[in-house]
Amino acid sequence: MNWQKLKRKLPRLVVNIVVIAAIVIWFVPTLGLLITSFRPASDVAYTGWWTALSSPLKFTQYTVENYKNVLSSGGMLIAFRNSFIIAIGGTVIPVFFAALAAFGLSKLNFQGRGFFYALIVMMLVVPTQMTFVPVLRLYNKLSLSGTFGGLWLVHTGYGLPFSIFMLHTFFQSLPDELFEAAHIDGASIWTTFIRLAIPLSVPALASLVIFQFLAVWNDLLVALIYLGGHQSVAPLTMRLSSLVGSHGQDWHLLTAAAFISMTVPLIVFLALQKYFVRGLMGGAVKG
Amino acid sequence: MKRRVLLVSLLLVLALSLGASAEGVVTMMGVWGGQELEAFQEVMDAFTAKTGITVQFEGTRDLPTLLQTRIAAGNPPDVAALPGPGAMKEYVEQGALIDLNNVLDAKVLAEDYNDAWIELGTYQDGLYALTFAADIKSLVWYRPDVFAEKGYEVPATWEEMEALMDQMVANGDTPWAIGLESGAASGWPATDWIEDIMLRTAGPEVYDQWVNHEIPWTDERVQEAFEIFGKIARNSDYVYGGPVTVLSTNFGDSVAELFTDPPRAMMHRQASFVTSFIQDANPDVVIGEDVAFFGFPMIKPEHGNPMLGAGDMIGQFNDTPEAAAFMNFLASPEAQEIWANRLGKLGTNNKIDPAAYPDDLTRDMARLLNEADVFRFDGSDSMAAAVGSGAFWEGVLMYVGGDDLSDVLEFIENVAADSY
Repeated sequence: MNWQKLKRKLPRLVVNIVVIAAIVIWFVPTLGLLITSFRPASDVAYTGWWTALSSPLKFTQYTVENYKNVLSSGGMLIAFRNSFIIAIGGTVIPVFFAALAAFGLSKLNFQGRGFFYALIVMMLVVPTQMTFVPVLRLYNKLSLSGTFGGLWLVHTGYGLPFSIFMLHTFFQSLPDELFEAAHIDGASIWTTFIRLAIPLSVPALASLVIFQFLAVWNDLLVALIYLGGHQSVAPLTMRLSSLVGSHGQDWHLLTAAAFISMTVPLIVFLALQKYFVRGLMGGAVKG
Repeated sequence: MKRRVLLVSLLLVLALSLGASAEGVVTMMGVWGGQELEAFQEVMDAFTAKTGITVQFEGTRDLPTLLQTRIAAGNPPDVAALPGPGAMKEYVEQGALIDLNNVLDAKVLAEDYNDAWIELGTYQDGLYALTFAADIKSLVWYRPDVFAEKGYEVPATWEEMEALMDQMVANGDTPWAIGLESGAASGWPATDWIEDIMLRTAGPEVYDQWVNHEIPWTDERVQEAFEIFGKIARNSDYVYGGPVTVLSTNFGDSVAELFTDPPRAMMHRQASFVTSFIQDANPDVVIGEDVAFFGFPMIKPEHGNPMLGAGDMIGQFNDTPEAAAFMNFLASPEAQEIWANRLGKLGTNNKIDPAAYPDDLTRDMARLLNEADVFRFDGSDSMAAAVGSGAFWEGVLMYVGGDDLSDVLEFIENVAADSY
């Protein structure tokens, strides 16, 4: 009896253990970072963050000094503003164009569709770093370097192949009958895209937006190359990296900085979360 | 939807118009952040107050990558901090740097600068870098109170140093604290050790040959320098925590072992900038009273007392009058006094008022720098990048980790043979 019960529960148990282990392993470094961000620099130099766990309720060992230092350092507001400008443009533009392209590539019939799709997927293989010099040269000619518009354009370029790839896969999974039905009802291609494809692909779009937003929000290198590090245009990542001296002095400030910078993507994620959960095809096709 | 497209294109146009550059501006790229950036801001402010020209500073620790990309793309900053003499030579060969003999006041160069600094920035008959300030590296940090209490004496020669280390071990103390971890640059503190030893066992001429790869890494003089370092870093009696701690401790944290109670280690070899790490971890320590330094002792008397160091080298990429004015300002005692005063850096213009240095300790360092028989720039910064910031770092880590020395040196030599 007992044995039977156990046998039934065993697979579930194994899955649970694996999931919990994965969560713990994933979570520990973040926890360490969080605790470190609240410890004074002098403690950080001598003992590991886990020593705080031996008496976690001793509040005198914590300090908000690191957060104060980071937030009060000059130019933080401008950096936040710049990061928003960059991240919103760098997310909306590529996702919009990727949706159009993916729709066309998967639901419209035209010559060389497979070839174009293959070409775009091949772009995924090109390392970003290889494109820096030629693109920057072009940008200098067009005086695009150092402008937000230029940076949006690069993020669009770097983000499009993956976005198209991902949305294409998703659009492929939508039944063709649905689009045929819309066509018979007299819907134009544009109407089909706006009224049918977009609403159906909200979960896919939401995950893509998160991917792209995170990539752009956390980006340091691309912004450094195309935008330059001057304060008036520098995003948050650049501002935060300049808190640390050239020999890595004051690195403890980075722990607090990491959490400050993390809040925005976290909010975006939580705000979009409900769209993943929603049923993909609820009531789309009725027999 | 059409409206949205319109909006996006409108935004694009708006964003494009934001990036126009203004008149009377110098753009500069540097590695500085935190306190350093604040100090440099003061230097730039002083320049703006004097000339009305604004300096747009871009700070990044990825300077070598970024600078190289911008040079290749044809829009380098007007002025930039150079990663080191090795990088300077590469930029000269690419035709990117401007000969400063045409920019800087010849009288200032001749009268205010020691030959060592001019030599450092000279390549192929041109002066391409102004050494704006220096750090010295051949320093051993210790606590005078602990030394006095335990009856230890500051050694003047390597024999005295070895005797001191044995005396410490016999007393139950650990002589050294060493930490080599530094992210992707892990290993560099050990390269400084080996360079310091090389300068003292083989002399500056052989040192230069080694840096320029005119002698192979498998040369017995290189081997000897590694072995002297290995005697300390691979020996748990001589170094706190043994090789495992050496490899896993961050270079900035390792000096903290001197300030535990009781101290876990007695001495720490590091450049002058280590004081900022000491104060981060121990705000109560008074630099100059609770902690002091002595020069890394001479090993072979015939090679004297050389000094290893690094400098903030500045190069000019664009020939504009504003950039030239800024370079001349950086060469003046006025600019260097601010920089030296805020950061404890050592100015290179010898007209600097000694009162500008923040404390006696820094004045001592400035004196040590002036008195040194020989000054040499950090060798690993002058080597080809694949070796100096690659195989050399990796090699010392392998060596401390217990690998056979001849294997390690062969590994570095193989990389070096490909990159010169």
